[in-house]
Amino acid sequence: MEQTFSGGVFSDSLDGGRAGAEIELMPSGVGARTPDGEAFVIPYRDCQVEVGGFSGRMVFCRSADRSLTIFCEESKFPKALSFASSGMLDDQLKLGAKQRRSESRRGLLIGTFLTVGFLLLVVGGYFTIRSGARAAVLALPVSIDAQIGDAAMDSMDLGGPEVDDPVVIAALESIVDRLAPTAAVEGIDFRVHVVDSPEVNAFALPGGNMVVYTGLIRDAETAEQMAAVLAHEMSHATLRHGLQRIGQSLGIWAGVSLLIGDLSGLMGAGVDMLQIASVNSYSRAHENEADEEGIRMLYAAEINPAAMADLFQLMKENQAELPGIFSWVSTHPDHASRIANVHDQVAALPPRKYREISVDWPEVKRRINQDDNRENAEVE
Amino acid sequence: MQTQIRDKPSFANIHVRLEPGDQIVAEADAMASMSSTIDMKTQWSGGFVKGVLRRIFGGESMFVNTFSTQSGGELVLTQPFPGDIQCIELKGNTMFLQPGAFIACEPGVKLGLGWAGLKMFIAREGLFRLKVSGTGRIWFGAYGGIFQREIDSEYIVDSGHLVAYEPTVAVKIALAGGIFSSFFSGEGLVTRVTGPGKIYMQSRSFDGLAAWTNSHLY
Repeated sequence: MEQTFSGGVFSDSLDGGRAGAEIELMPSGVGARTPDGEAFVIPYRDCQVEVGGFSGRMVFCRSADRSLTIFCEESKFPKALSFASSGMLDDQLKLGAKQRRSESRRGLLIGTFLTVGFLLLVVGGYFTIRSGARAAVLALPVSIDAQIGDAAMDSMDLGGPEVDDPVVIAALESIVDRLAPTAAVEGIDFRVHVVDSPEVNAFALPGGNMVVYTGLIRDAETAEQMAAVLAHEMSHATLRHGLQRIGQSLGIWAGVSLLIGDLSGLMGAGVDMLQIASVNSYSRAHENEADEEGIRMLYAAEINPAAMADLFQLMKENQAELPGIFSWVSTHPDHASRIANVHDQVAALPPRKYREISVDWPEVKRRINQDDNRENAEVE
Repeated sequence: MQTQIRDKPSFANIHVRLEPGDQIVAEADAMASMSSTIDMKTQWSGGFVKGVLRRIFGGESMFVNTFSTQSGGELVLTQPFPGDIQCIELKGNTMFLQPGAFIACEPGVKLGLGWAGLKMFIAREGLFRLKVSGTGRIWFGAYGGIFQREIDSEYIVDSGHLVAYEPTVAVKIALAGGIFSSFFSGEGLVTRVTGPGKIYMQSRSFDGLAAWTNSHLY
């Protein structure tokens, strides 16, 4: 049975030395016919078989003096050639196939090696720089936090007018003063700003600036609950979450610029980012850290940390009725575990005698509501 | 159809004299000037999908222009970078071209896009390559001069210099020397090509140009 395959031929007798050809396995040998009608034959007994080409699967049949080469890449060709030559060329074909297999195995091995090496390098480099960035952030002086935080505070839209009622400010400041000695880092100047807004929220900027919305003051039932909020926010500042977040968000390049000490670029980018990003979107890990540190501060300041759990519980209940309000404790299911964590931590603390906060909290709340009423009256 | 490659080797361009009935297919934007008697028809290069693939992976444009004429005329085709242009005639055989090399061909030539493989990517020849087959002449360009070699055993080409090769040629990536000399000789990786078959190389490489330009930017 004669079979034809498509392939090509190299011969000095051809113009240009080569042509595509139809390969025919004839009884006498491997034949090739070019589109121009020229025909070539290599008898099987003179045929030298090689396997190679770009794909590694091309079979070359070469004449003894190598002046004529007929080649074909079709997958069925080797078997047909073996059959047509009655097994005469099997040894050479097998050798070629074996060589090809070992080469492709070696190629695969080297390829895998290189790929794995490259991936390790990328992953390793990423984590080195990331941890380097965290370490670099923590190694920076605290004054950097204050510079970035103050710049962001100055240019930030707080979402409402600042409240300057002396009673309200004094009350919050006295709570901050009681907590401040327990702060984990020295040299942070904690300043609390009250902003008139129905948002039930508070946030901290790097370096000690904190903003509490009147919505949250209205919701807090006791001064201890407000102390819990402030302890949590102060912890964000002392744990330097803001700078860490800038470092993480700016990614690897911030890490690199931090490591080589380019602070001015980081300042600019950080201020921009703090303004744009929603202000309380610290990562969950950071929130948990701040909860934990806040509880430690409250306990150290002899304020009952159970107030934090109480506040969470209260807000969870209140919020069920007010979905969608941008709030300090989200009721997202993820945060249920956060509340549970706080409960657990508070429960695990050894009992001690707590001192009450000497602030007339009902008066603070009355003042806030009074301001509101007055404003409403003015509007009307 | 009569053609001549002029201004070789630095600023080569193809002068084509078309007679009625002649056709030439050229890469979009290859036409530099032509007689008003020549008609140009723009087509997707091998259909929409193939055209887009050729654009994204082959370094060629999505379209090809087919030039023909009712009464005869002249046409000048060129390539975007300085360098030589080579004409080869296909007789049912196949050639692989590096991305961006193709300029023009006669209508009997089939243009295809093939996966060149990771090893060619490492050799800085691109993940894909153009496959030209069929019958007729094709013209391709290169950066710098073009030199060819008929190889039968092994031959070494620096990465980025291989412009065209036959499918019968095996290509392997290798270090230029030992680890040390490979990195410090400036040769790095090279391609080891094994025949039989013909290869076309360019005397300059784009990577070389890019590296040289970068070093002069700042």
